[in-house]
Amino acid sequence: MNAEPNSAGAPPATKPAATLPAPAPAPAPLPNPLAHLPLPFQAVDYFLKGYHLDASVTPDQVVSAAELLGKEGFALDTITGVDWMALGQMELVYDYFHPQRFLRVVIRARIPRDNPEIPTISKVFPGANWHERETHDFFGICFLGHPNLMPFLLPEDATYHPLRKDFTA
Amino acid sequence: MEAQEEQLLKDCAPFVKFAKLDELLSLGRANSLWPLTFGLACCAIEMMAAGASRFDLARFGAEVFRPSPRQADVMIVAGTVNKKMAEAVKTLYDQMPEPKWVIAMGNCAISGGPFVFPGQYAVVEGVDKLFPVDVYIPGCPPRPEALIEGILKLEEKLTGNRRWPVVKPE
Amino acid sequence: MATEDILAPLASTPPQETFVLNLGPQHPATHGVLRVKMTMDGEYIVRAEPVCGYIHRMQEKMGENRSYAQFLPNTSRIDYLSALTYTHAFVGAVERAARIQVPPRAEYIRVVASELNRISSHLVWWGAFLLDLGGFTPLLYAFDDREKILDLLEGITGARLTYSYFRIGGLYNDVDDEFIKGTRAFVAHMRPRLKMYKDLVTDNVILRKRLIEIGPISQELCRLYGATGPVIRGSGVPYDVRKVEPYSAYPEFDFEIPTLPEGDSMARYLVRMAEMVQSLRIIEQALDKLPAGPVMAEKVPRVLKLPAGDFCYAVEAARGRFMVRIVSDNKEIPYRVKLRTPCLSNLSLFEEASRGMLLPDALALMGSLDLVIPDIDR
Repeated sequence: MNAEPNSAGAPPATKPAATLPAPAPAPAPLPNPLAHLPLPFQAVDYFLKGYHLDASVTPDQVVSAAELLGKEGFALDTITGVDWMALGQMELVYDYFHPQRFLRVVIRARIPRDNPEIPTISKVFPGANWHERETHDFFGICFLGHPNLMPFLLPEDATYHPLRKDFTA
Repeated sequence: MEAQEEQLLKDCAPFVKFAKLDELLSLGRANSLWPLTFGLACCAIEMMAAGASRFDLARFGAEVFRPSPRQADVMIVAGTVNKKMAEAVKTLYDQMPEPKWVIAMGNCAISGGPFVFPGQYAVVEGVDKLFPVDVYIPGCPPRPEALIEGILKLEEKLTGNRRWPVVKPE
Repeated sequence: MATEDILAPLASTPPQETFVLNLGPQHPATHGVLRVKMTMDGEYIVRAEPVCGYIHRMQEKMGENRSYAQFLPNTSRIDYLSALTYTHAFVGAVERAARIQVPPRAEYIRVVASELNRISSHLVWWGAFLLDLGGFTPLLYAFDDREKILDLLEGITGARLTYSYFRIGGLYNDVDDEFIKGTRAFVAHMRPRLKMYKDLVTDNVILRKRLIEIGPISQELCRLYGATGPVIRGSGVPYDVRKVEPYSAYPEFDFEIPTLPEGDSMARYLVRMAEMVQSLRIIEQALDKLPAGPVMAEKVPRVLKLPAGDFCYAVEAARGRFMVRIVSDNKEIPYRVKLRTPCLSNLSLFEEASRGMLLPDALALMGSLDLVIPDIDR
């Protein structure tokens, strides 16, 4: 660094503020390091979005996508539900991270809002069990094949789904 | 003889006290409040800090945090009370034997705190909706000194006089 | 004796012989309001099912009701023990999406403050963990050290526990000389204290008997449940977001990722103790290299609107990987804020990991996972 710590705390008038070099270089970004998987990945600017690869799949493909990524050694980060009320759809975003590689992958699926159902991935990733219960709590999405879709964060007898855009307390 | 009796009483004054039983009992209760370990959220850490080395609640007799409500006199509700948790909190309050007191510590226990917004569905807006509260300590989280002041206020409520006068800033 | 050998004679116990023990939600050893429904066979756990939601405070719903700047106090209260790292993730996501360049001095100070926060969080974990195992004294020592950190952070942020020090674009205010001198003095004070803790507590035979080979968690279990932080590092995988997905000014510093292969509670304990030493290293280097300059980016719009799309930012909090995912539709208020918290993933493996364990051992396992329940419930 070309600036020394200034004990007065104020920037010296003539020196320009130091700039950080670009953040640590990722392993040379290949267009698609997972090109051998039959998933429609698109490369994304990591420094804008925070992930490398993005794939939109149909709801029935999420389980096979999870299996393929599981074989590659990925771990499930989280499952996010988004309620696109204006479009009549709900979106499920599956984030995956790799414990050893600098590679973040996102799988998306859209389901109709009036009948939100999608197969569960909890047989591939047992950690998805709680994520799916929480998404069900908040959005009412039914995860087909889930062993125990009881309310997770809401009271056991809750029948409401608070993060829907038309929810009123 | 009367002068001798008077002199005797004066000499004994530092050692012998005459008082009503109620006053003695409240003095005893105030100086040995046993809190229930009821930290729910962030305020719990400040409560632990108040019981730890620097702020030391033990000086005021309130060091013995009892995990069981049957053995506690004061419930310091430190943290947000949820609708899912409300039943358990009420059960704990009911299980405490009389005489019992409640200190609502932190903004969440007083009125729901920063988690109240139009359309909120999960937070009980203030623990006084569940049972009567004796002392309110505002803050998010209140400093351990504020918790100590709350304990002193409770002692004042019990005995009628403060341990030491309120310090006025100069 | 392996667990299977112990359980073998009990394998023929008919199901009616088990009973359900309810741990919590008010319990001194659950570090918050966690309820665990345990089906017990004598002292052995047949099935432990955590029930959460007793401190659900609607953080994600509030994300949809508040502007980006208004949500900052919420970030501190998700995991209040490492509050600054959580705020870092949120402001990082917003800055990333709005392409705001944070000045280097602010990044360095963010690192110093986050590492101080990490040490204070590990100290609380250490004290509370030993309290669960039965030793009261380390808690007092830990809180004494922690008070020193809190004094330093109070000097610059104004708060003891739930800071809102990081702002979108930089910091609230600059650090002064007193903070720098005080932090150096703290680092000098803390190193011998950590050595004392090792001699008195870590090498204590009772602690070793209670933690070694208790609660083994394999690498594959961590991967299947998404466990991160000291849980995965105590199982042999050197996964630390600061090294694998570097952010902020961390690439500038030289530090190690303590990793141990055993996977038992002792490994997780030692990983956290070693992390405190590494945090002291990072703090020293950051203070030595602290650049001059402003602490706030120049053109942060008053009314901030992010472009449409979703953006995420992950940090290494004291408990593991914390990620914020903001879905925006180009308004002042986010459309959706998703908080990926480490304790939820870490606790989700408890059910599988605690089968067949003795109850006190299961509590040692739970303590070694380092849970803060509002982190799970948000």
